[in-house]
Amino acid sequence: MPELLSTEARERLVSYFEERFGLGTDVFHPFYMYAFKRQVFLFRRQEEMIPLPEGSFVRCGLPFVRLVAGYLKPTTVFLQRFGQAGSQNTVSLEWKDVKALCSAGEISLDKASMETGRLEPQGYVIIKALGHVLGAGLLLEESRLLCRFPKAIRQALARIATL
Amino acid sequence: MKDAFSRFLEDYRDVIPDFQEYLLDLKTPLPVYFRINTLKTGAEPAKKLLKQEGVVFQETCFSELLLVKKQDTDRPLLSYHLGYIYPQALSSALPVHALGPKPGDRILDLCAAPGGKTTHMAQMMDDEGLIFANDRKLGRLTALMANIKRLGITNTVVTQARGEHYRADFKFDKVLVDAPCSGIGRYRIDPAGRIRHMRPGKTDLPAIQKALITRGFDLLRPGGVMVYSTCTLNIEENEAVVHYLLQKRPAEVTKWQPPVKWSPGITRFKEREYEEGIGLARRFYPHEIRSVGFFLARIVKH
Repeated sequence: MPELLSTEARERLVSYFEERFGLGTDVFHPFYMYAFKRQVFLFRRQEEMIPLPEGSFVRCGLPFVRLVAGYLKPTTVFLQRFGQAGSQNTVSLEWKDVKALCSAGEISLDKASMETGRLEPQGYVIIKALGHVLGAGLLLEESRLLCRFPKAIRQALARIATL
Repeated sequence: MKDAFSRFLEDYRDVIPDFQEYLLDLKTPLPVYFRINTLKTGAEPAKKLLKQEGVVFQETCFSELLLVKKQDTDRPLLSYHLGYIYPQALSSALPVHALGPKPGDRILDLCAAPGGKTTHMAQMMDDEGLIFANDRKLGRLTALMANIKRLGITNTVVTQARGEHYRADFKFDKVLVDAPCSGIGRYRIDPAGRIRHMRPGKTDLPAIQKALITRGFDLLRPGGVMVYSTCTLNIEENEAVVHYLLQKRPAEVTKWQPPVKWSPGITRFKEREYEEGIGLARRFYPHEIRSVGFFLARIVKH
């Protein structure tokens, strides 16, 4: 069964998202955070806490974040829903760059030609194109941008010729 | 199975309006609709992206539903992968609108997979309140969870249990019983004369449906609303099931005015009579709404 995060663990996550992406505490206020199967889930806060059904429970809420090789990785679905409010560590790509990223799995980031806002030299970033949030990328060594979209999305995007 | 459908056609010749039109319509493909998921984007940005992707569409009687007129089917849609759209039949929107989910409601979707109606309800609730989305089969739950994720929904608890024996620690404001059925409303006849979308099996569907509708009703709070729906036109799986509930429980079928063409529930068929209130149930025929044939009854608990 999922475990409600302690106040301290919740605050650590909220602080991380505020510092890394500029996503304020108001984004997370309407949700409980549950740890379940090595992920944290956002589950809509209720007027009164409801007991989760023990015998039949499968999952609740939206997968939000997990720990990958020491980094906190936001899920694609979380970023697609809430990432539009992100103000830093965000990279806006041209469609040709999205295709290259999805095909090769990695591109060299030419920051001069991109709208990036404040960008730290490494860690997860929000990737946007045409004003839409596509998902997460991992920035390494300041300019290596690795694709971290789920395989199905990556394959689908690589096949879209142009928009 | 083909014989069973032939028998169905014979039995329902006088029940289905414009029967010859119905037979002709069976030979045409059903149109596809996209529901815009406003939890992830505004309607206008979603429509703009669909146009950029070469989709030609038309507005419908439901503001969130678009009729797809033309689409390059070989090309994956970015709109889909971003969770902006959910492809569905127009009929699938009917039970959700009949139930009328509101933010803050506690709703049980007893037979939820693959999640079209669950995610539609979450959208109408602004992702507030609570949905228990249940299904019996693990394989079908995978699709349900994938759709909840893709559409970015946070207010849903997914459970796996037999609906007939579903247990909860509280009562729900609203319950949707979109019951497993023979799927006759979905049938199409291909150019070779074969019947498409037929579901094999010898399960006693009315017995399961009666158990589901009763359990769904028992999990409803007094004054709560339940919608019972199927995608079949078979009276034994529709009116007879609602009749059973009305006999067993303090339930009342209430009026709902659909925005598409409908016919009233049938109260007399083959020397069998059903409760008068069943006339307030709604039947939707595929040739009249250009979508899957459907039945629904909106039921209130006293």
